Amino acid sequence: MLEEKMQNRSARARRAASVIFFTLLIAAITILAGREFLSMRRDDPIFPSSGLTARRLLSDYFPPLKGGPGDTPVFVFDGPKKGGRILILGGTHPNEPAGYVSAVTLIENIRIAAGTVIVIPRANASGFTHSDPQEGSPQRFSLETPSGRRSFRLGSRVTNPVHQWPDPAIYVNPMGQELAGVEARNLNRAYPGKPDGNLTERVAFAVMELIRHEKIGLGIDLHESAPEYPVINAIVFHENAADLAAMAQMDLQADGFEFRLEASPPKLRGLSHREWGDAAGIKAVLLETPNASHGRLKGKPSEALVVEGKDPNYERAAKLGRLFVPFGPEGIPLKERVARHLAGVRALLKSLSELEPDNTVTIGGFPAAEEIRARGVGAFLK
Amino acid sequence: MRIVYLAMVLYLAAHLAWMLAREKSFWKQAGIALVLVLFILRLFLIQ
Repeated sequence: MLEEKMQNRSARARRAASVIFFTLLIAAITILAGREFLSMRRDDPIFPSSGLTARRLLSDYFPPLKGGPGDTPVFVFDGPKKGGRILILGGTHPNEPAGYVSAVTLIENIRIAAGTVIVIPRANASGFTHSDPQEGSPQRFSLETPSGRRSFRLGSRVTNPVHQWPDPAIYVNPMGQELAGVEARNLNRAYPGKPDGNLTERVAFAVMELIRHEKIGLGIDLHESAPEYPVINAIVFHENAADLAAMAQMDLQADGFEFRLEASPPKLRGLSHREWGDAAGIKAVLLETPNASHGRLKGKPSEALVVEGKDPNYERAAKLGRLFVPFGPEGIPLKERVARHLAGVRALLKSLSELEPDNTVTIGGFPAAEEIRARGVGAFLK
Repeated sequence: MRIVYLAMVLYLAAHLAWMLAREKSFWKQAGIALVLVLFILRLFLIQ
């Protein structure tokens, strides 16, 4: 009897010890994992050039966003002379790093002599706070800059479900288009937005409010897509911007950049290149560059894949004729994709000044594509 | 909706904690502990 009691007591003591052990283990793992996840919510620092005239928030144009996960910085560069008013968006899809890095590169370099340029580098701020599930993507990628190595967030295509949940089975966007449920969190399906809609629709509405309030004439949305996707190395244009896009394409081809022209399909609703033009009447353009790191054929996702853009699977797919862009052993590095985006922006601005001299935008300090190719994009970051 | 979600996660996390305390097998406790971490992260809306 006594022996049985002793055994029970000893078993209880062992169990109590293991419960304490596991409680401490749970606390340690939770704290470590929590810190890692929470680090994704810290914004990357951006160091604007001396040409910056105002730093605002998207909530300044739509106050209900204030202090929430959809609020995001807006960088305004006003020139001393009147001219065109341009909006440039990066980070609509935070898993498309060339759009984000191109916007940051502009913010850190440009000075305006005429006109106004407004840049939103993290259009879907919530998308930067998490990574796409089941992709194994790196949380960050880094670039060598004159002041040392600098890291940037690689986020998700869509808004964080912690901020907007649950997804509907079928998403009906503000223009009545039926889409897969996950698209409810895709900023580039949510235009022209809704003031009382879900978070993503409210962010889209705030961008539209900015366009209307700032009297934007040309909007450029910077994106990337997988090399197997047909709309790639492309200028997607609203019919309001057809002349502008065609002239820019000729300029780009003369400079050695192959860009295709893609008209915005009138029945594909909710996208920036459609709704900015339809709802606000502006010239709307979307630029696409090829990004192997979010394609379906990619190998192991890694920081090197994001920055260097080399992937043997894509090389093989190119040899089999399955891609819409050339893809060799040199890959398509981030510096090339940023160079393409900035060349595209420059060509669009040049064409705008030729088509509408009153809307000329003159920019100094604009990094040249050849220099980005030669020195890397990090050389133009602080 | 968020309150309903958090209530569900709290309920399941409490169950797991109770099972952790009652379970005699060390390895089953280890399994429960790992699942509990995910529920706690969800409970605090970290991930």
